[in-house]
Amino acid sequence: MITSKKIVLIGHFGVGKTSLIRRFVENTFSEDYKVTIGVHISKKTIEIAEDESVSFIIWDLEGQDDIKKTRVSYLLGTHAFIYVFDLSRPSTFENLKNEVNYLHENYSKTPLKVVGNKVDLVNKEYLAQYNDKFDDLVDLFVSAKNGSRVESLFSKLAKELI
Amino acid sequence: MNQDEKLSIIKDILLTDEREFTSSIEKKIKSLEKTINEKEKLSNKVDPIIDDKLNNFIKEIPKTLGPTITKTLKEEIKNSQDAVVEALFPIIGKMIKRYIQHEMKLLSDKINTQVNNTFSFKGIFRKAKSKASGVNESDLILQELSNTKIEQVIIIEKGSGIVLAEFSKNKTTDEDMVAGMLTAIKSFVEDAFKKESQNLQHIDYDLYHIHLQNFSSFYIAVVISGAYNIIYQDKLEDKILDFTSKQKVSDILNNKELITQKLEDFFNNDNI
Repeated sequence: MITSKKIVLIGHFGVGKTSLIRRFVENTFSEDYKVTIGVHISKKTIEIAEDESVSFIIWDLEGQDDIKKTRVSYLLGTHAFIYVFDLSRPSTFENLKNEVNYLHENYSKTPLKVVGNKVDLVNKEYLAQYNDKFDDLVDLFVSAKNGSRVESLFSKLAKELI
Repeated sequence: MNQDEKLSIIKDILLTDEREFTSSIEKKIKSLEKTINEKEKLSNKVDPIIDDKLNNFIKEIPKTLGPTITKTLKEEIKNSQDAVVEALFPIIGKMIKRYIQHEMKLLSDKINTQVNNTFSFKGIFRKAKSKASGVNESDLILQELSNTKIEQVIIIEKGSGIVLAEFSKNKTTDEDMVAGMLTAIKSFVEDAFKKESQNLQHIDYDLYHIHLQNFSSFYIAVVISGAYNIIYQDKLEDKILDFTSKQKVSDILNNKELITQKLEDFFNNDNI
């Protein structure tokens, strides 16, 4: 049986939302940065058990410096959110707590994964500096560039959604 | 042995290698002179190198000169639009004229055939239909000729854009992607106009028309090829309403298999 689920990726400009999707859907990565305008939709089906698959319909929304500016109609009927920030750019996570709270308050029933991308660009000492900020909020550190933990992010989500 | 003889022997010993070396260089120079002076020999040596360089140059043209040529052409076209239009108009104008003439001839032939069949059963039926419906007979003829076809029907959940059921005769598109994009476009347009009671009703895409009909929790997208006029749109709306009410679609939204089966039974022919 295949179940379709709408997944929405949100976050600031240039944090790597599109790259994360490309890594997951096509297993590719490009250094060229092309800004997403409006929304881009992709699809990938993954098997989570015998005779049980989840078809992810992934909505890649254009980056917003303030999550409240995201077009609300794009978020309707979302089965899970992935909030992406760039570990190498503190400006993309300095307001992380408020952004996550906003999602919890407005979409309390929708699962949310908070993901720090570009982990390949930072080291342990750097991450340790922000321990307090990330501790309770961040689910995973991933890298769209080398694929680290991207697959695991989506398979965890699939299992949670079924 | 006198002094001179001794000197000669020493010279012989010391200069033998040098002489051999000089003689070998002399031979090489002569061979080089021959190669350079004889055209055929020179060409045998040089041609492969030049060919190789030329081939590389040709291969590299799109990379090296392409952007410059494109940029120059773009600038030229931008700066002298009138001249470009003047130059292209006779060619494109003739092409369009010829195409329209051809299509008009085909249409005219088809209409003649239809009109000549006035006294056939189909013709009499059309006349009766025209009188009963109040639609001009010529409109009915044109509609018959338009060959409108339903290519795909998708029932889509509002908001999420998830496909609830789908039927297509020739599966050429991924319904999940189409449904997602349609929902995004609908959301954007309806948001942009900020009028809750208004909905996007159709989208034209090249040779296809996508008819959209809204219900409370879902909407139906019908992909149509051929002419999509008001008469057809009206009939299609009725057919979709008929489908949703007769098949009680709202009550079986969670049963994908059942709705898909009903869709197939209902929309399998092009008659509406």
